[in-house]
Amino acid sequence: MFYLVGLGLGDATDITVKGLDVVRRAKRVYLEAYTSILTVGKEALETFYGREVILADRDMVEQASDELMADADTEDVAFLVVGDPLGATTHTDLILRAVEKGLQYKVIHNASIMNAIGCCGLQLYSYGETVSIVFWEKDWQPESFYDKIIINREKGMHTLCLLDIKMKEQTIENLMKGRPIYEPPRFLSASQACQQLLEIVKRRNSEKMTDSDLTPDTICVAVARVGASDQKIAVATLAEMCDVDMGSPLHSLVIPGHMHPLEGEMLKLFAFSDHVRKLLETIEKR
Amino acid sequence: MVNFTVDEIRKIMDNKRNIRNMSVIAHVDHGKSTLTDSLVSKAGIIAGAKAGETRFTDTRKDEQERCITIKSTAISLYHELPQEDMQHIKQEYDPENNHFLINLIDSPGHVDFSSEVTAALRVTDGALVVVDCVSGVCVQTETVLRQAIGERIRPVLFMNKMDLALLTLQLEPEDLYQIFQKTIENVNVIVGTYGEDDGPMGNIQVDPKTGTVGFGSGLHGWAFTLKDFAKLYLSKFKVTELTLMKRLWGDQFFHEKTKKWSKFRETDGVRGFTNYILKPIYAMFEACMNKTKAEAMFLVDKLGVKLTSEDKELEGKQLLKTIMRKWLPAGDAMLQMIVIHLPSPVTAQKYRAELLYEGPFDDECCVAIKECNSKGPLMMYISKMVPTSDKGRFYAFGRVFAGTVATGQKVRIMGPNFIPGKKEDLCEKSIQRTILMMGRYVESIEDVPCGNICGLVGVDQFLVKTGTISTHKDAHNMRVMKFSVSPVVRVAVECKNPSELPKLVEGLKRLAKSDPMVQCIIEESGEHIIAGAGELHLEICLKDLQDDHAGIPIVVSEPVVSYRETVEEESSIMCLAKSPNKHNRIFMKAAPLPDGCAEAIDKGDIAPRQDVKERARFMVEKFDFDATEARKIWCFGPEGTGPNLLMDCTKAVQYLNEIKDSVVAGFQWATKEGVLCEENMRGVRCNIHDVTLHADAIHRGGGQIIPTARRVIYASVLTAGPMLFEPVYLVEIQCTQEVCGGIFGVLNKRRGIVFDNQQLGNTPQITVKAYLPVMESFGFTADLRSNTGGQAFPQCVFDHWQILPGDPKDEGSKPGSVVVASRKRKGLKEGIPALDNFMDKL
Repeated sequence: MFYLVGLGLGDATDITVKGLDVVRRAKRVYLEAYTSILTVGKEALETFYGREVILADRDMVEQASDELMADADTEDVAFLVVGDPLGATTHTDLILRAVEKGLQYKVIHNASIMNAIGCCGLQLYSYGETVSIVFWEKDWQPESFYDKIIINREKGMHTLCLLDIKMKEQTIENLMKGRPIYEPPRFLSASQACQQLLEIVKRRNSEKMTDSDLTPDTICVAVARVGASDQKIAVATLAEMCDVDMGSPLHSLVIPGHMHPLEGEMLKLFAFSDHVRKLLETIEKR
Repeated sequence: MVNFTVDEIRKIMDNKRNIRNMSVIAHVDHGKSTLTDSLVSKAGIIAGAKAGETRFTDTRKDEQERCITIKSTAISLYHELPQEDMQHIKQEYDPENNHFLINLIDSPGHVDFSSEVTAALRVTDGALVVVDCVSGVCVQTETVLRQAIGERIRPVLFMNKMDLALLTLQLEPEDLYQIFQKTIENVNVIVGTYGEDDGPMGNIQVDPKTGTVGFGSGLHGWAFTLKDFAKLYLSKFKVTELTLMKRLWGDQFFHEKTKKWSKFRETDGVRGFTNYILKPIYAMFEACMNKTKAEAMFLVDKLGVKLTSEDKELEGKQLLKTIMRKWLPAGDAMLQMIVIHLPSPVTAQKYRAELLYEGPFDDECCVAIKECNSKGPLMMYISKMVPTSDKGRFYAFGRVFAGTVATGQKVRIMGPNFIPGKKEDLCEKSIQRTILMMGRYVESIEDVPCGNICGLVGVDQFLVKTGTISTHKDAHNMRVMKFSVSPVVRVAVECKNPSELPKLVEGLKRLAKSDPMVQCIIEESGEHIIAGAGELHLEICLKDLQDDHAGIPIVVSEPVVSYRETVEEESSIMCLAKSPNKHNRIFMKAAPLPDGCAEAIDKGDIAPRQDVKERARFMVEKFDFDATEARKIWCFGPEGTGPNLLMDCTKAVQYLNEIKDSVVAGFQWATKEGVLCEENMRGVRCNIHDVTLHADAIHRGGGQIIPTARRVIYASVLTAGPMLFEPVYLVEIQCTQEVCGGIFGVLNKRRGIVFDNQQLGNTPQITVKAYLPVMESFGFTADLRSNTGGQAFPQCVFDHWQILPGDPKDEGSKPGSVVVASRKRKGLKEGIPALDNFMDKL
C-alpha cells in the first residue's frame, strides 16, 4: 500500500493518530521537502516517530518515482507531505503514477493552509481561486496572479496568495551544465510579495483601473507560521505591509474581497496601525 | 621620432578635419607592409634608406621570418599637403591648415587573419587597397574590400609591384595599361556589387582620372598618381591639372600632327597614359639596366632629379631604385592621395554613425558620433587587445568616436553582452593611462579627442576582446564586429606536465584576449579546445600560447572540424514533452529552414533586432514563409543570433507569454548543444504548436519549463531526419600551367570540386578555384607542394556549410563516424540518445 500522509502545519505532533500509525509500521517513510516546510526539522520528526525518515527532493519525486514506490505492492510505503497531500501542493500526479503501476494507495488528510487560513477571520466560503506569487527574477516577472486577484475581487471574493518557496533550485547555468549545485533555500516574504504587487499596479495603465484594482491603500492580511505556537497575523494596507517584518517563514497573504461586518471586526483584532483600524471601521458601518 | 613630438601630434588631433584614419588592406604578398614602410619612411620614423628592407609594421619575430603580417599594427604619420593642392579636397576642410595627421593600420593579408582586418576596418574611415598588378584581384582582395564597403569605408587603390612587371615580366607599355585597366575594372565590379546604390558615401568607385588610383613599387619606394604627371606636363599643354588628368587615362589619344586629343586612335595617335607616363618610366628603366650610365644621367638631369655623388657611384638596379625614389617618392604620392581622397572623421562619422551605434539614432550619444563632437559624451569602441611588454596585460586599442578620453577619467566599460539599464557586462572604472601606439613604440598622452585612434591602459581586465567605453549613463553599445571567417578548425591542448594546468588555463585566457577571432573553450570532458580560422592561424596561436601566454610545453591533438546539426524534413510526428511535475506540456515539430535562409541570417539580412513587420515581409517574399508565422518569431539561436528560429505557431494559449523566456532559454541551450553530438544546430525552425500549462504561475517556472523545452526540441529533431553540415573552404591556388595536373589529383583525393580555372592575362600563370571540405584540408598545403614541386600556393577561406551525406544514426556512414568520434571526445554517452529520452506519451 502507498500512503500519502498529511503532516499538518505546525510541528511533529500535528500528525493524525491514523497517520502516526501508518508511519510507525511502514517499511519506508519519505518526507517531501520541497513544496513546504515544518517549523521543526527532519530530526525532530524522527525522534517523535521513533524511526528513520528519508528526505525526498523534487528530482526524486518527479523523476525517480520507481525508487519511491518500489515494493509498495507488498509492503507499506508512506509519503509524508506537509499540510494536506492534496491541498495546496497537489500530488495527484504521484497517485496517477501509482495507479499506473497497479499499486493501491490511501490518502490520510490533515490541515492545510487552504483551511487553516480561516484563522484570520475571513470566511472560507468567500474565497476565490487561490494564486501563487512567485519570486521575480531579472527577466521573468509574470503578472498573471495579479489578474486572478482582480477577477476574484470583481466577484467580491477573497484571494489566498501562497508565497513562493525555492527549496533546492539550480541556476540556469548549473541546470545547463548538469551540475548538482543548488542555491540556498529562499522564501518569499509577505512584504516582498506586497512590493511586487504594487510594482504591477505601477506598471498598469492607471486610466483603465477600476475599483477592483489594488491601490497602496488596499487592505491585506499577512499570516506567518500558521498552526505553529508563534503564529502571527497582521492586517495592514499594501503600502504599509511592504515594511512589515513577519519573522521566519512560511508566510501567506490574503487580499480580501467584499467583507462581511463580522469579518471586518475580526480583522481589526490584528490591525497593524490606526490607519487600518479606521479603514476597517468604515467597512463595518457600511 | 624625427619629424614630430607627442605634443605636436596632440595639437593636430584637435583639428578633426585634418585627420585621416585608414587601413591598408590586400591579398597576402601583394606588398602592403613594404608599401607601408615607404609611407613611414616619409613620415620620418625610420631612416629613408631602410624603407623597403625592414618591415616596420611587422613587429614580431615570426612575422619578420615568415615575411607575412600576423597582427595589425597602427602608426601615426604626419603630412603637410602643399598649399596649392588643398583645393582638390572635396570634403569640408580648413583652408588655412595644411598639417595632416594620418593614423594608419597595416593589416595581415592571409585569410586566416581576416579578423585582424575586420578589427582594423572598424576604427578607420578609409582603406588603401593594394593590388599586385601582375596577379590582379585575388580572393582576399575581394573579401576585405567587401568588408570595407560593408562598414562604409571609402577605398583608394594602389597598383603595386610595377618593378616586377617591368623588370621580370618585361611587359610592353600597352599590355601593362590593359592589365591596369582590367584590374581597376575588377575592383569597381566588387565595389559596385557590394556598395549601396545612392548610398550616403556617394560614388566610391576608384578612377585614375580623379586621382584615386596610385601606381608604383613599394619595394623600390616609388609611386605616382595621374596628378603627379599632370603637374609635370602643365607647361606643355597649358591646361588645368584636372583637365589634363582626364586625358592621361582611358581611350584618350594625342595626335602630334593636329596637336589634338581624341577618343580614337588615328595613325599617329598615342595613348595619353602610355606615352606621357609609362614611356618616361620605361626609358629610365632601360637606361639604368641596359644602357650606359651617361645616358641614365642625361635623363636624370632632364627630369631635374638631384643625386648625391654617392648615389652616382651606384650601378644597375641600385641606381635605378635610387633615381626612381628621388624622382617619384612613394611617400609624397601616397600621402597626398590619402589626404585628398580619404574622408576625415567629420565626414565619415556622419554616415557611419547609424551603422556603428545600436541605440536610437537621435539620442545624445549617436548625435555626438554623427557630429564628431569632442565636447559630447565619450563613445569609444575597443576593437582589439594588444599585448604589452608586461606579461598578461594588454593595451585596449580602439577609436574615439565622440567626446574625449583622458588619463584618470572615470568611464563605463561595456562588454558586448551589455544591455542598457542592466548591470551585466558593465564596469565603472578609471582609465589608468591613454597612449598613442606607433608600430613598436607607445607614447603616453594626456587625452585624446574624438576622431582619433589610441590605446588605453587599465581596462583590459574588464573586457574579453572588444567593447564600448562611454561616460554617458544611457549609452547603448557600439555594434559588435561581424567577422568574414569563422573558427571552424579546432585542436585540443593539454600541458606536458599536469601540474602546470593553472598556467595553461591562464595562458588560454590571455590568448583569447590577444586575438579577435580565436575561441578557447573548455569541454564537458575537461578538454581545452582552441578554435581558429585555419591551419596557419592555429599554428600561430599555439606558438604564442606555448612561448608567450602560458610559457609551458604543451601537447596538441590532431585538428578537428566543427560541425553543425540540422534536419532534412518536417518532424514525422507531433512531439510532446511534459515538465518534471507533469503539469505542463509542450507540443512541437522541427523543420528545415528554406534554402538560403540560414545564410541570410548569417549575413544579417534577417536579424533579431529588425522591425518585426519589415522582417516578416522580407521572409514572405524571399523565402515563402507564412505571413502570420513570420511575425511570430520568438527568437534566434544559439547565442540569440544564430541561424535557427523558434516560432510560435500556437493559437490563443493563455499565459504563453509567461513561459516565453523559459522556452527561449531551453531553445538557446538545445541549439547550442544539439542532440546528435552537442554541436551547434543550423538551419532548423522549431514550431511550437500547442502548450498546456498549470493554472498557477509557481508550477510553471524556469526549472519546469527550460528542461522541457529542450527535450521537446531534441525529440522534434530526432523525428525530422537529423543530418550533419560540414564546413567547406573556398580554395584559390595560383600556379603555372604545367603543375595543374598535380593540383587536380590532390583535390580529387580530398573530395575537392574545381569550379573555376582561369589564365591570368597572357601570362603562363593560372588560378584554380575549388571547394574543399575543411575536414580534408589538414596537410593540404604540404600535400599540394610536394605534388607540384613547391609551385602551388593555396589560400583557403571558409565559404559555406554543406550537408555531409549519409545517416548520422548509422555508425558505419561518414556522419555516423563523426558523431561517434565527437561524442567520445566530449565525454558523452555512447550513441545518439534514443527518442524516448525526450518524448513523453500523452
